Amino acid sequence: MTPLTIIGMGSRLCGDDAIGLAILDALQEEAGSDLELIEGGLDALAALESMAGRDQVILVDATRMGLDPGSVRVFMADQVNLQVREDHLSLHGIGLSEALEMGERLGLLPSNLKIIGIQPLSINVGTGLSEPVQAAIPEVLDLIRTERQLQHHMTDAYRGTGGISTA
Amino acid sequence: MTRDLNINVHHLTRVEGHGNIVVNMKEGVLEKAHLNIVEPPRFFEAMIKGRSFHETAIITSRICGICSLGHQMTSLKATEAALGLEISEQTALLRKLLVHGATMQSNLLHAYFLAAPDLLDAPSVFPLIATHKDVVLRALRMKRLANDIGDIVSGRAVHPITPVPGGFTRIPTRGELEAIKQKILDEGIPDCVATVETMKALAGAIPQFERETEYISLKDKEEYGLYNGDIYSSDAGTFPVEEYLSVTNEHVVAHSTSKHARHKRSSYMVGALARWNNNHDQMLPEAQAAAETLGLGAPCINPYMITIAQVVESYHCMLDSVKVIDELLSKGLKDEKPNQSPTRYGRGIASTEVPRGILFHDYTYDNKGNIVSGNCVIPTGQNLANIDDDMVKLVPEMIHKSQAEITHALEMLVRAYDPCISCSVHMLDVTFKED
Repeated sequence: MTPLTIIGMGSRLCGDDAIGLAILDALQEEAGSDLELIEGGLDALAALESMAGRDQVILVDATRMGLDPGSVRVFMADQVNLQVREDHLSLHGIGLSEALEMGERLGLLPSNLKIIGIQPLSINVGTGLSEPVQAAIPEVLDLIRTERQLQHHMTDAYRGTGGISTA
Repeated sequence: MTRDLNINVHHLTRVEGHGNIVVNMKEGVLEKAHLNIVEPPRFFEAMIKGRSFHETAIITSRICGICSLGHQMTSLKATEAALGLEISEQTALLRKLLVHGATMQSNLLHAYFLAAPDLLDAPSVFPLIATHKDVVLRALRMKRLANDIGDIVSGRAVHPITPVPGGFTRIPTRGELEAIKQKILDEGIPDCVATVETMKALAGAIPQFERETEYISLKDKEEYGLYNGDIYSSDAGTFPVEEYLSVTNEHVVAHSTSKHARHKRSSYMVGALARWNNNHDQMLPEAQAAAETLGLGAPCINPYMITIAQVVESYHCMLDSVKVIDELLSKGLKDEKPNQSPTRYGRGIASTEVPRGILFHDYTYDNKGNIVSGNCVIPTGQNLANIDDDMVKLVPEMIHKSQAEITHALEMLVRAYDPCISCSVHMLDVTFKED
């Protein structure tokens, strides 16, 4: 069965930017042959490499969406306008938006790539999540578990061993 | 020529830091030419205060997504120096392999994704995906290989914590090292050769600009120094790493919130070109031949050639990785446990060459093994004054050119140094498409 890969992005030292990593922490116990966890950290190009060659990937990252802090949205890369910065002075300017754009143009993105974005309250330097972002963790975990269940059902249905049909 | 010139490049508007190029010329007299960077890594010195020696490198390695390994290695060495922890030969070899991987990764990404677009007159790497897809894929493949080295040796894919004070919590297997060696031979070295060819085709577009400066790097007695060595200055010779403060002389300047450094002149250069100038004769012969192919002489005083020095150095690291792996395999891998029994408590200073130049970590521990104070001197801070001095010479030399051309030359100059501008937060920024 195709494993579901969760890539958590962000920095543990920048407040709510750590949400992607906090989700990985919360999923540690559940990891297995059908659920793979990858710490993308701050290296967006490494995250792109991790995506390449995989079919089912969910990226989790703090996302500026203009919503209330702690709001959670699931989207595909082509459903949003990523703010891609093409002119930068250093490698540090290559963020996830740029890596996704590059992956799209190179044809490296997984066939099923979803992004779970969590609106941060603060990404200032400091450890620990803000209250609204901490409170969003169960919702994000539910979304991931639902996606994982869906994978199981789809596989079961394909094998003719039962499960609900997605059709 | 009497001319007024005002250049203000506000490129980086990220939340917690930015870099601006500011040039003012009035009636042909240059009043101002500098790069202003708000340098964020300072805060971490406060963050590690009171933490146990087990945590220090974990925190420092997470400061930066690009230079994490360099911070980690330097941090471990400083902690080991402070606590009197001896490391084994095997540990040193494994760390050298990690440093090779990290150096290749950063150098090559810089050459391919930042410098090459400039040399092809493209605004960024994105248009090159359509015209030079195979080259972009090669760049990513080489980054992948460098990452693989990191994953196998440091277990980074899971948790970047197998390198700890005193050694490693997990030793790679013989099979893993053999596999990575085979990949280097089959893929890595041919890709390096192809990279040299690609850069040779682009090298004609590198601006001809020269300014001699002081070049500072590590120098190792035995080999091309990246992991170990003494401080070496092209002006003043060798100094022990413990005397780094007398070399860096950090000071505050009015136009930058980041400190500047100076030694024998108003500025000095660190990084791949400084390493090449100081240690080129210790590079492996194939890499030296590549330098000749690419027109990199020694010493080279053109800062735009930093990119070429990075490519040559990456080739050296790729080749030397095979040697390091062979040495590990021939000595037999031992399942060692890290030596974490301090023999003393106090101050420890260490230095490693990270891609952008010489990095210093300096810690003092109390007798419980907790940090009392820490200091870090990072390469970009050391290069800032040198970039300013380059600009001061470059702008008058180009004064007959258009403002756009001068601005582009200045941006390319800054990019050549690949300054470590704010990297703490890489947050996605989106607006939803309306159906």
